Amino acid sequence: MLSEKKITPGEKKLSLPMLDNPVTVRIKFCKIGTLQFVSHLDLQRTFHRVLVRANIPMWYTKGFNPHAKLVFGLPLSVGTESMCEMADLRIERKIALEDIKNQLNAQLTDEMYVLDAYYPTTKFADIAYADYTITLKAPNIDENSALKATSRFMLPIMMMKKSKSGEKEVDITSFIKKIEFESKDGCLTAKAILSAGSADNLNPEYIVTALRECEELRNDLSDLTYRIMRNKVYDGYLVEFK
Amino acid sequence: MNEKLNSILKQVSKPGRYSGGEYGQIIKDKSKVKARFAFAFPDTYEIGMSNLGVRILYECLNREEDIWCERVYDPWVDMQEKMKENGLLLWAHESKDNVKDFDFLGFTLQYEMSYTNVLNMLELAGIPLRSAERGEEFPLVIGGGPCAYNPEPVADFFDLFNIGEGESLLVEIVRLYIQMKDEGRYSKAEFLHEAAKTIPGVYVPSLYDVEYNADGTIKAYKPIYDDIPTKITKRIVEDLDKAIFPDYAIMPYTEVVHDRIMLEVFRGCIRGCRFCQAGMIYRPVREKSPDVLNEQAKCIFENTGYEEISLSSLSISDYTGLPELTDKLLEWTKDNMVSFSLPSLRVDSFTKELMEKVASVRASSLTFAPEAGSQRLRDVINKNVQEDDLMRAVNVAFDAGKTQVKLYFMQGLPTETEEDLAAIPKLAKDVIEAFYANPNRNRAKQPQVTFSVSPFIPKPFTPFQWEPQDSLETMKEKQSFVGSCVTDRKIKYQHHDAEICRIEAVMARGDRKLCKALELACREGFKFDAWSEYFDYDKWIEVFEKSGVDPDFYANRRYSFDEVLPWDIIDCGVDKSFLVRECKKAYEDQTTPSCREKCSGCGANKLGGERTCCPKRK
Repeated sequence: MLSEKKITPGEKKLSLPMLDNPVTVRIKFCKIGTLQFVSHLDLQRTFHRVLVRANIPMWYTKGFNPHAKLVFGLPLSVGTESMCEMADLRIERKIALEDIKNQLNAQLTDEMYVLDAYYPTTKFADIAYADYTITLKAPNIDENSALKATSRFMLPIMMMKKSKSGEKEVDITSFIKKIEFESKDGCLTAKAILSAGSADNLNPEYIVTALRECEELRNDLSDLTYRIMRNKVYDGYLVEFK
Repeated sequence: MNEKLNSILKQVSKPGRYSGGEYGQIIKDKSKVKARFAFAFPDTYEIGMSNLGVRILYECLNREEDIWCERVYDPWVDMQEKMKENGLLLWAHESKDNVKDFDFLGFTLQYEMSYTNVLNMLELAGIPLRSAERGEEFPLVIGGGPCAYNPEPVADFFDLFNIGEGESLLVEIVRLYIQMKDEGRYSKAEFLHEAAKTIPGVYVPSLYDVEYNADGTIKAYKPIYDDIPTKITKRIVEDLDKAIFPDYAIMPYTEVVHDRIMLEVFRGCIRGCRFCQAGMIYRPVREKSPDVLNEQAKCIFENTGYEEISLSSLSISDYTGLPELTDKLLEWTKDNMVSFSLPSLRVDSFTKELMEKVASVRASSLTFAPEAGSQRLRDVINKNVQEDDLMRAVNVAFDAGKTQVKLYFMQGLPTETEEDLAAIPKLAKDVIEAFYANPNRNRAKQPQVTFSVSPFIPKPFTPFQWEPQDSLETMKEKQSFVGSCVTDRKIKYQHHDAEICRIEAVMARGDRKLCKALELACREGFKFDAWSEYFDYDKWIEVFEKSGVDPDFYANRRYSFDEVLPWDIIDCGVDKSFLVRECKKAYEDQTTPSCREKCSGCGANKLGGERTCCPKRK
């Protein structure tokens, strides 16, 4: 049934004063839980609608098929959660950063929400590394599992890796800046800094696959479940990217 | 469950369709609800999420504080394998709880070819297929939707059918269940009897015995109690302005078939095309007011952020408020970068003004459905459009710079001749010629006419319900004949899979004897039969043979006017005598005027309805 009040769509947005020039605002958001299964392409479509619902005064391209300008940072693979996703919005009206965050969060769920909104001073192309926590659970994991994993990663690990130029065999450890393992009953944790970005990129799933294919860990990892979390991204000097 | 599910989801295609968590989904506190309803769409998430009926009924049930309705979809084949490997049962989308533990499992029956999915989903859920084999511990399995107008082929699998529009009917059914539980007098048998007795529109197939004649036709339906109806009359919503319509949408993360605002403009159709089931079973026509629709569209836009509005109805251009509605929508859609689209249009009412409004923000393709190639055959099916209408309509489109037109036709219609068939590609050719004859045409591009021809499938409650379908060989011969008439590369010919259409005809006009075949089909692993890559005609024929079913009896037989039809147990509002009259008129090449011009006495008036079009009611 209809409410009594008459709605004027977009009113909240259209009443804001215009800026002289469009401005870019960066949002940092998390994408966790079941939303790890939403692909990068689906995320873009979702966000376009979220921005409309949230009355964010987006700047629209002026072409034949106008669309809001929205650029995402480092793509996140399906099956990986993240606390550090970023997107740049181009806005054309005056709105407080705090309002952007709050209005967006009113339209998002507890599995994806904005952590911060700010004016960016960096470019997404400068992202070079990402920091992941990989948590593996299996009944046979014990204190020694981490030692076995550590020694495996001291040697080259040749794997078939997909890239833009096709599939070829590479040593995946050349994409690993740092990796540390810890284990106790039933749980093996890897903390890893991996190459990330358009030049070199390593999907953290390769770490899981490498562990699974390791002969010494075969028994430890039977009946495995795991989750991967992206915690931070860095630039080429290992300074946190903001 | 969640950890296991998450780890399985990493191994299947398009995991986003199983993960749930969409914005707009309804989560309730389990301890505070008295009945849990699993609303199943027996096909993939992408198709199920596009169904407006499910969205409406989801809202109707969840409006009730003590009822929690959740969604269920059929997992794709790779997911079904993983579920079996890992011992997972079919779950409900919102809570991820097993469907088996719900109070109700409702299936919407949108097309006959989804019947194997219904059974496949029962199996995945760990629920026995036949209602007679299900004890008190299993949910009540109920069905509704357009195929429930002939529920007989699946009668043995359902406890109860919902005949007609479910908005209030479905809630009444669940309320009776809650009431009987509260009063401590619930048992499945008691409930089904009471529902059949007291709630109009409820059909409990197990309470009716079917007797057959020696030739396999039906002799009679016998209710096993004298206090239940001998015919079940469909339910309707009288006033659509006041009907519940969700002012939000569950926002899918993954791409679904119809991912836009769907605005239901009216129900029913004034036309009465003689092959069309929807045009009969949704009578009487009931319109919504432009003001109500406009306010609903604004609400849904604010709550979804969708960039497109689709006006939904049968024959949209027959809506009396269309100019007013489109004007009202345009007042705010332009500023918000929202476009709107219309379903396939009638050629006789397609105007320049209408097209300009539709194309106001983004271009959309144009589709017309002449249904038959020759004027004689269009009269037989009561399409009531002339070739001039089509030529005028395509010229409107070409004037505006459009170059692509889609045309829909049918083959195998009653009385069809080779001449009628040849007229189909001829019409496509005429459209191409009209393009080149149009001085305002887009000279930068070549025209493209795509025409699609689907085999005629006789459907219950239509004037052609008694008519036989062409044999498989004839259908295929006709397809290659039409194909051979196309020589122009600017004309593209598409046709439906004749084998699927044949099985659909068997199911559409089937009786309870088909339950055995469907059960066997399920045991043999049939699923996704509407998907040609999973449909296997030879296996179907094998299943029919094994279960003693003769497909010709249902698909290729001319049913007689005086035999008891499997769906005679249902009263859809339209009288059988009207359907007989219409069928006879078809053979005399006689058309029937639309409801707005003159009442043809179909009988649907008795059901009531506000803002109908019938001159008799005004």
